[in-house]
Amino acid sequence: MRVIRHLEVWKMGTVNYLDALKLQEKLVADRKAQMIPDTLLSLQHPPTFTLGKRRTDHNLLIPESELINMGAQLHYTQRGGDITYHGPHQAIFYPIVSLRDVGIGARAYVEKLELTMIELAALYGVQACGGRKGETGVWVGQRKIGAIGVRIQSGITSHGLAFNIDPDMSYYKHIVPCGISDKEITSLRRESNSELPDDEVIHEQLVSCFARQFGFSITSLDKHDV
Amino acid sequence: MASRLWASRAASYLRISAFHRGFAIVAKDFKYADSHEWVKVEGNSATIGITDHAQDHLGDVVYVELPEVGTSVKQGGSFGAVESVKATSDINSPVSGKVIEVNEELSSSPGLVNASPFENGWIIKVEVSDAGELDNLMDANKYAKFCEEEDANH
Repeated sequence: MRVIRHLEVWKMGTVNYLDALKLQEKLVADRKAQMIPDTLLSLQHPPTFTLGKRRTDHNLLIPESELINMGAQLHYTQRGGDITYHGPHQAIFYPIVSLRDVGIGARAYVEKLELTMIELAALYGVQACGGRKGETGVWVGQRKIGAIGVRIQSGITSHGLAFNIDPDMSYYKHIVPCGISDKEITSLRRESNSELPDDEVIHEQLVSCFARQFGFSITSLDKHDV
Repeated sequence: MASRLWASRAASYLRISAFHRGFAIVAKDFKYADSHEWVKVEGNSATIGITDHAQDHLGDVVYVELPEVGTSVKQGGSFGAVESVKATSDINSPVSGKVIEVNEELSSSPGLVNASPFENGWIIKVEVSDAGELDNLMDANKYAKFCEEEDANH
């Protein structure tokens, strides 16, 4: 018997990185206390660079002051993964999910995040695949279209995935993205021959792909003002 | 079939029980937390690590965040983390006490957690403050059943 689990999707628009981080911390605590259902934050960030727990800031190629001068932010986090860029026209998902309830571990969770993005890319005729050993993420050939960085505390997830729809690629020049120096970053815009609809539509589709991977039934909430 | 034979031979050599459910090998004299850490108590000190089930579900560990010696730990509280497949997962202590030793090898060889979860991949040693807390933990049989139920759950 397949149990249908419920997912609450928060559609948030553009959110400052630290605000999103604070919100996730609260939701993780609430989820751990079983006060809320599994929740997915769907949003975008203004130009932001982030580092993971290993603090690999040797992969930041410019001083932080220059970064700030160009209007971007830099944040150190507790997620897995290396340095990355977030910005407009990049779809961000932060699932706050109890892995114990879903019945999977970190590796299977990350694989499903990869499959979510792979499925979405396929809708636009783009053949993508998951990372091989040590290269977690979603790739079109040798070019990376989707990144993953997750934190798991007492089995509750936070942080998540970033899928490039059509971000300003010039920001990637300032980092060694994900610590991988010999591979390019790409986007749906670059890889697809199809005409792309509004970002909102693509976010909805990505939510459906996520729900299908995890067996969730969803409720969407407009949380633009949170 | 061949791998099962190997597993039982390895098991009798190591004097542990190989439970042929999935591939988690559960060492018999240890105790287990439901967050998949094990503890081996010898006198006043306890060695702690994560189980074979845990390392398999995590994937290849590339980084282990260790606490400082002298740090206090609480049963069920987090004391460090591992990173695998771009995910950091916290590790919780099965017992309360004070950290007296950490496995420095893991800084250069985090993969020991995968290769030898019950032996060379040990993570910390703790001076136990409340031996009674061990009663809250599972023995090998209970833990093996617990893993089976968890894995059947999806």
